[in-house]
Amino acid sequence: MATKKIISMKSIFYTVVSLVWIFGLSAIGHITMVLIEKNNPAIKYDFAWWCAIVGILALYSTRWMKSDGWQSFTGCLAGLSVWFAMEYSLMYGGHDMGVTYTWNGSYPEYRLMKWTYMLFIIVFLYLLYQESVRCNLIFYLRRKLRLMRGAIATGKIDNYGPRTFFEYVMVTWAFYVLLMIGYDENLFGMYSWYIYTLFFVSFSLFFYLTYKLLGYDRFGANLRYAIPTVTILWNDVEVLSKWGMLKEPWVHINWPIMSVIIGGFVISTYLIVKDLRTKKQGMIEVKDITMKDN
Amino acid sequence: MKYVKIALYCLLAVFIMARACPAQEQEKSNSQKRAERIMALEERFAAASQEGKTIKGVLIEGNSLFNGTVDIRTKPYGKPYTEAELKNALRSAERNSKVFLITKDGTLYYPTVKQGEADSESMGGYRFERMISYDQKDRKVLPWATLTPLVGREIEVLGIVYPGYGCVKGLYIEAVKFEGEYIRGQGK
Repeated sequence: MATKKIISMKSIFYTVVSLVWIFGLSAIGHITMVLIEKNNPAIKYDFAWWCAIVGILALYSTRWMKSDGWQSFTGCLAGLSVWFAMEYSLMYGGHDMGVTYTWNGSYPEYRLMKWTYMLFIIVFLYLLYQESVRCNLIFYLRRKLRLMRGAIATGKIDNYGPRTFFEYVMVTWAFYVLLMIGYDENLFGMYSWYIYTLFFVSFSLFFYLTYKLLGYDRFGANLRYAIPTVTILWNDVEVLSKWGMLKEPWVHINWPIMSVIIGGFVISTYLIVKDLRTKKQGMIEVKDITMKDN
Repeated sequence: MKYVKIALYCLLAVFIMARACPAQEQEKSNSQKRAERIMALEERFAAASQEGKTIKGVLIEGNSLFNGTVDIRTKPYGKPYTEAELKNALRSAERNSKVFLITKDGTLYYPTVKQGEADSESMGGYRFERMISYDQKDRKVLPWATLTPLVGREIEVLGIVYPGYGCVKGLYIEAVKFEGEYIRGQGK
């Protein structure tokens, strides 16, 4: 966690660029899968293996990166690559076991993902008690639930790459599971109080997290905190699509809108890379947690 | 250490380029191939429909049909379920019970894969090409459909009929056409 700073034009710039980049990354990830499914589904499992390999290699490469900005940037890309492989593995599992589409349109792979909720809880419980974890939400839960016997984690983090990678995967996984539980007509359903609550909580939290994000003025921290901020907004995008109020341009391949998103992604990538290259001697945060933040 | 880093980046770049370049070339040709295939399918569908060679029928959930829980003979064609029955039929279908097509004259078809495919999967996991109008194309309606959400509704099918077994015929579905939304209330 980076030290909080006063909101400035600089922090607004970093926040906007980070949000655009993470949003573009998710949208491009989606359209890649849709295009493969549409034009050449035969390659999808090969593609998944390559994504897994490239993701793991990218993650490994963070070992040599000195700035937390590069570590976070690469960790995020690695997380997306491995998440691709994860979704394709569920797709393969669904195909292999003959899982059907649901009558309200959910895909087999996401039906399978829903039932990983207990596995998610196990991993989350581990993170909750894992003393070196610095996630804000987990810190909050530890404090409120009085979970820790000693002081909360402090100290230097040498490599943000694996943390960003894991954050990307966990955040994406968590929201998929939450949505799929909601979409299940046998549990709640797409017009249930659960989905409405999820929609409005996600909408509100997006603004709250964006406000918090404005406190950081470097690409390392901004990129990391942009992941949950964008993903929580993505819940609303998914729900609106499920309600038939939005046609996702990455699912329905709307090239004019996708061109804008891809353009935003390219420009934000350029700005991030330029900034990170300028700050070659970017320091890894030493004082990661300050009690005064809490 | 610097050289190791450079080498690793080069390796990554080679991997990405090696996969991306042929994929892009292939994507274009595959995209064109698909467009041509869909156009040919649309023409065949329209011709078959005009000649009365397509099959029109209502999709029925198999378990409740065969165990007699729902007696569709007492229901008007096109409305095989009450609201409560439809809910159960849809739920059963998404839990992988088999879906059948029943025509107005009472012929029962079992949707299946193409003859010769010994190794296959549940039909509930298949996406079928959906014949959509220009207006639907403009509205970015999904160009495919699966069987489960269509249970209880009338569809028109272009496909190949196999003799099947007993009174139940086999039906290989090439493309489907239906009125209304694929998923109710989602504009798809």
